[in-house]
Amino acid sequence: MPMSEKGNAAADWKVGVDIGGTFIDFCALETHSGRMASLKVLTTPDDPGAELMTGLSLLAEREGLDPIAVSRFVHGTTVGMNTVIQRKGASLALFTNAGFEDVIELARLRMPETYSLFCSRPDQLVSRDRVFGIPARMRSDGSEAAPPDLASVADAVAAARAKGVAGIVVSFLHAWRDDGHERRVKAEVARLAPDLFVFTSAEVWPVIREYERTTTAILNGYVHPRISGYLTALEERLAARGVPATPLLTKSNGGVMNAAEGKRSCVKMLLSGAASGVIGAAWLARQAGEDRILTLDIGGTSADFALIVDGQPQFGTGEMIGEFPLHIPSVAVSSIGIGGGSIASVDEQAILRVGPESAGSTPGPACYGRGGERATVTDAMVVCGWLGHSAMAYGQLQMDPAQARAAVGRLAARTGRSVEATAQAILDVAISELFVEVEKMASRAGVDLRDFALMPFGGGGPMLGALLARELGLRRMLAPRRPGVVSALGGLVADLRGDFIRTLFRPLSPAVLPDLREAVAQMAEEGRAWLAEQGHRGPVDLLLHADMRYAGQSYEIETSLDADWLARGDLDAIAGRFHATHARLYDFFDEKGHIEIVNLRLSALGAGPSLAFPQAEEIDGEALAERSIAVHVDGALAQVGLYRRADLVPGQRFAGPAVVAQEDTTLAIPPGTQVRVDRHLNLQLTFPE
Amino acid sequence: MFDRMNLRVLANHVRAAAENMAHTLQRTAHSAFVKETEDFTVMLMNRKGETFGVPMELGATWFPGLTYGRALAMVDDYRPGDVAFTNDPYACYVATHVPDTHLWKPVFHDGEIVAWTGGHIHNTDMGGAVPASLSRALTEIHQEGIRFPPMKLVNEGVFDEQILRIMVTNVRKPDLNIGDIKALVGALATGERKVLAMIDKFGKQAFLDGVEALLDHAEAEARAMLRDMPDGTWTFSDYADEDSVEANPCRLHVTLTIRGDEALLDFTGSDPQLASSLNVPSGGDPRHTILLVGIYYVLYTLNPKILLNTGLTRPFTCIAPEGTVLNPVFPAAVGMRSLTCARLRSVIFGAFSQAIPDRLPAAPAGNNCIVNVMTTDERTRRTVIAAVNPVVGGGGGMPHRDGTNGSGADAAYLKNTPIEITETETPVEFVRYGLARDSGGAGRWRGGLATDMAFRVFAPDSRITVRNRDRSFFRPWGVLGGRAAGLSDMAVNPGSAEERRLGNVDTAVLQPGDVLSIRSAGGGGRGDPREREPWRVVQDVERGYVSVEAAERDYGVVVRDGRLDEAATRLLRATMPAHGAHFHFGPERDGYEARWTPDAYERLTAILAGLPIHWRFFAKTEIFRRMSGRSGAEGVQHALAQVQARFPNMPAPATGGAG
Repeated sequence: MPMSEKGNAAADWKVGVDIGGTFIDFCALETHSGRMASLKVLTTPDDPGAELMTGLSLLAEREGLDPIAVSRFVHGTTVGMNTVIQRKGASLALFTNAGFEDVIELARLRMPETYSLFCSRPDQLVSRDRVFGIPARMRSDGSEAAPPDLASVADAVAAARAKGVAGIVVSFLHAWRDDGHERRVKAEVARLAPDLFVFTSAEVWPVIREYERTTTAILNGYVHPRISGYLTALEERLAARGVPATPLLTKSNGGVMNAAEGKRSCVKMLLSGAASGVIGAAWLARQAGEDRILTLDIGGTSADFALIVDGQPQFGTGEMIGEFPLHIPSVAVSSIGIGGGSIASVDEQAILRVGPESAGSTPGPACYGRGGERATVTDAMVVCGWLGHSAMAYGQLQMDPAQARAAVGRLAARTGRSVEATAQAILDVAISELFVEVEKMASRAGVDLRDFALMPFGGGGPMLGALLARELGLRRMLAPRRPGVVSALGGLVADLRGDFIRTLFRPLSPAVLPDLREAVAQMAEEGRAWLAEQGHRGPVDLLLHADMRYAGQSYEIETSLDADWLARGDLDAIAGRFHATHARLYDFFDEKGHIEIVNLRLSALGAGPSLAFPQAEEIDGEALAERSIAVHVDGALAQVGLYRRADLVPGQRFAGPAVVAQEDTTLAIPPGTQVRVDRHLNLQLTFPE
Repeated sequence: MFDRMNLRVLANHVRAAAENMAHTLQRTAHSAFVKETEDFTVMLMNRKGETFGVPMELGATWFPGLTYGRALAMVDDYRPGDVAFTNDPYACYVATHVPDTHLWKPVFHDGEIVAWTGGHIHNTDMGGAVPASLSRALTEIHQEGIRFPPMKLVNEGVFDEQILRIMVTNVRKPDLNIGDIKALVGALATGERKVLAMIDKFGKQAFLDGVEALLDHAEAEARAMLRDMPDGTWTFSDYADEDSVEANPCRLHVTLTIRGDEALLDFTGSDPQLASSLNVPSGGDPRHTILLVGIYYVLYTLNPKILLNTGLTRPFTCIAPEGTVLNPVFPAAVGMRSLTCARLRSVIFGAFSQAIPDRLPAAPAGNNCIVNVMTTDERTRRTVIAAVNPVVGGGGGMPHRDGTNGSGADAAYLKNTPIEITETETPVEFVRYGLARDSGGAGRWRGGLATDMAFRVFAPDSRITVRNRDRSFFRPWGVLGGRAAGLSDMAVNPGSAEERRLGNVDTAVLQPGDVLSIRSAGGGGRGDPREREPWRVVQDVERGYVSVEAAERDYGVVVRDGRLDEAATRLLRATMPAHGAHFHFGPERDGYEARWTPDAYERLTAILAGLPIHWRFFAKTEIFRRMSGRSGAEGVQHALAQVQARFPNMPAPATGGAG
């Protein structure tokens, strides 16, 4: 290793990289010195991966990062998501039970726009002429009514080939109970067409519910060739640079996995961007001693938000990938099409609206001076005076307030109001759009948001966060020092995490205990083997959950279990935890209700690096504003202190209204807010009651 | 006056409140009806009881224009913490069948009522003659379960235990009812809290003004849409296959008149009230929400940005004469009004399709069958009652794309259950669940395909009910040259020696090994099928949506060995006749209307309107019995004469009936 002779032998870099729509974000930590470097580079959609290398070069130039000193390299990529959204995935065939070829098209029937006669479903990723029915039938108890007809498989392979498919997804009824039919058909396909890749639904995620399982397997196959190709190229590029670390990939479940697995289990990384944002936020929150957080990540076109309860992200299934639901455990993140680039318009009834149309990153808001002419949320912020006092995005964008004023002015001419009043109304409407979606999420989760602190990140989160927090009635906000790289940080700190599932669908009774114990033992073994395969050498943490319900209910709830209870056969403890969970989520429980265990789930965790960032002692004192600027606050002109984030030191205090400018974003702080800089350089905002 | 530039802010807060209520109810409810089927509503109402906010993502789609005014007035002395309720369709026409239990709660601010929160749940059972309280065969409301007139259920935060005990005593699943009602009471409290938060934010007067501005805004949007439509008068009829056990068609008829920014919907000519539970209790309210559901769909389709609230209903006036199927008098049964309401929607769609032909789709399948199974689990010997998938059909061909397959349009709110879940819980085995080839109406844009479902049972005397079965005789219509869709069907053991075709009945008894096959209707086609690009037809053939024969017969597209034969297609299309009329109904309805002409129906309507209400259905049935070999107004008159001869003490119809 000749590079180490250059004198960097002591350095140990851990690098997290997250690709967004416009920028790729780097968060790099040198563990001995605690030095943290962050960086934004424009994405290169035509050559995914090239921007990564540019970033590494810049880190080397600016921070002296030597590739050979990189001991951990974690990457979150949107290649899979983009493949689905742009419909550029593999040409696939689906082999399934004859008589049930339309399961993926019928889906769950209900459509989102129930009041529209034009409501419709998306075109399927596998069109109906590539769905082949194979006579076969497994019963729900795992007994076989009819074996797969292998002659039909041969015909289907020939027909699929004639259609030019690259791979085949095999999904048969009741594979959650016994995947024998899927395995037999897969073996037959492999024999007849070894050049086609094949995924079975049970190997992707063996959960009960045929549509959900099939569609998840299809997503996996659809993105497989692209992700696999991308990861191979990435490995080669990193190796060529001399990076010794095996790249790790962030997963939708908030954990990481190695690239070898990423090539197979592509579907597990589809939502990793949003997930690692929440993981990063949860980590920052724990550092700051907060355990109930509402995260808010606002970009140019959309806002993502999630709840952190007891310091932990919440999990769910059925998150949307483009137009398709993904049914693997994922960090629960909600989304709305409102961001800094959302366009404001006035309708025929003179009602002002914001979004869902967005100016995106090209041309972007009018104030970017790149040809955008329609007023956006960012332009409204500029007109009000909150923005435009410093360069944005690490100096890569200059604000042009005159363009913002002209754009908002065109709307003002139609509303008959002043430019400032129109700008304020744009902000009020944008905030109210976010308000609806956050309130919905909170009521679904059954939480009282007033117990939560808001953590805004992304380019637009700090800009709108305090205004939204005030609307939601939150009392506090925690603004991290580097909001642009929270997702990259999430990857940096994430654990290895593998999920395993056994569907049992049995009543909770002594008779089921042996099966439960066996399932746990098997999954524990799989979990340990998985971690070993990932190269994990440290301690192993196994989390056990069951999806349970009262007999007759058609939904399950996730209930955490102690492995001990199974060993002891303590059914009362299991039932008690379920009743309590049910009461917490649904406000009631049924002591006499018969309980069913639908799934048993195990997560195997290998702890990520335990990182510490330097902290400084707090010095009590007033922060000094750099200068005073004029801002239209809630409709009235006010003199507002402008602070530089880089100048703020722990312990300093100041009060809103205020503007805090930093290299990657600007914080707007409304009147009455008390601000304190904490030891981690977070800004702690407290709003007036 | 509320600052209109900020109306969207208030609208969003209102929507957040309504979504909050809906999620709270769905989250805490006990029954599958509320949690899964989402047969519930919640709403925010102004001081007069007019709905100004509903959720958009959860719940039923029938109630954004509901007015609780009459119900509110039937209870005295509201106090903070009170909740009132009713499920009696005839008390105030807020509930429209007995299982629907409506609750409302005053929102007090500074000692005065500033708004109401309200909503309904569909109770799994309210007692009465049959489980679930619903059957087409019931003939009077007393058979449909216990009814509670408007009264307080909660007094200043305390439930009236006597009322709960009466309910518990009379219904089959009391725990579900009580659990759901308590969940709704919780949701109403959530709504109350959110209303008070809005008053806190906007100020009391601004909130009150803003609510009226929301209603005015919706009204203005509806009026703007009507102004964009041409003035004129259009008539349209559609039929439910069977009006009762008598199995005559039930006709719904509308005369739509658009003048400027207003519309009149005159339902005169619709059948007399029925001796079955298909009646729709509107109370003759000229803006009853249940008469206007089709309007919500039309308006929302034309402009998805509209606010859904009572303001939308203001430009519309309905006339539903007393004693007709759309305005029955006590004690007519009303439990299965949902079947009639589906047909009512297609009548409204048909009327507007003539007014604005370019902008609306063809008829949706319009038969939203809910399938229930009662059988025995051979392993446990226990009786199992379960809902199997709904069997619904496709949407009509749209102006810009094909109708949605297997669901869509006004059926898009329904959900299915995974086959793997059903088979694990219920001793049935599915044989097929998919789309039915050639069931969508042909057209430039094809109608959505029907759903085809078949399953097997294993225990003797397994009883199946298929509520809302319809469209087994009268097809979903096509428009603008597009053709009518395939019919619904139900059969036991199809294709075997034991085959039994079940026509339009909605129940079946199955024996071990029997397979029940249920097919919905499809969606109607839109535009001339000869104008559909041949590649689309070939693609439909490849996908199995259209057979090679139908491609040739209906589209004039010749497919040979999986490929388009361009020359043969050109030749064939040149010789195919066009369908010139606005609607295409199919041979069944054309044949029926050759006898039952518009004149015949005009005559019948006049005769029946002249009879006392309790004679009307009887007279209709007797006249129908005597129509074979007859047609037109004259035929009706002759049939009437025979009826009068047979029943000499039948009163003479009041105006011109005796002829």
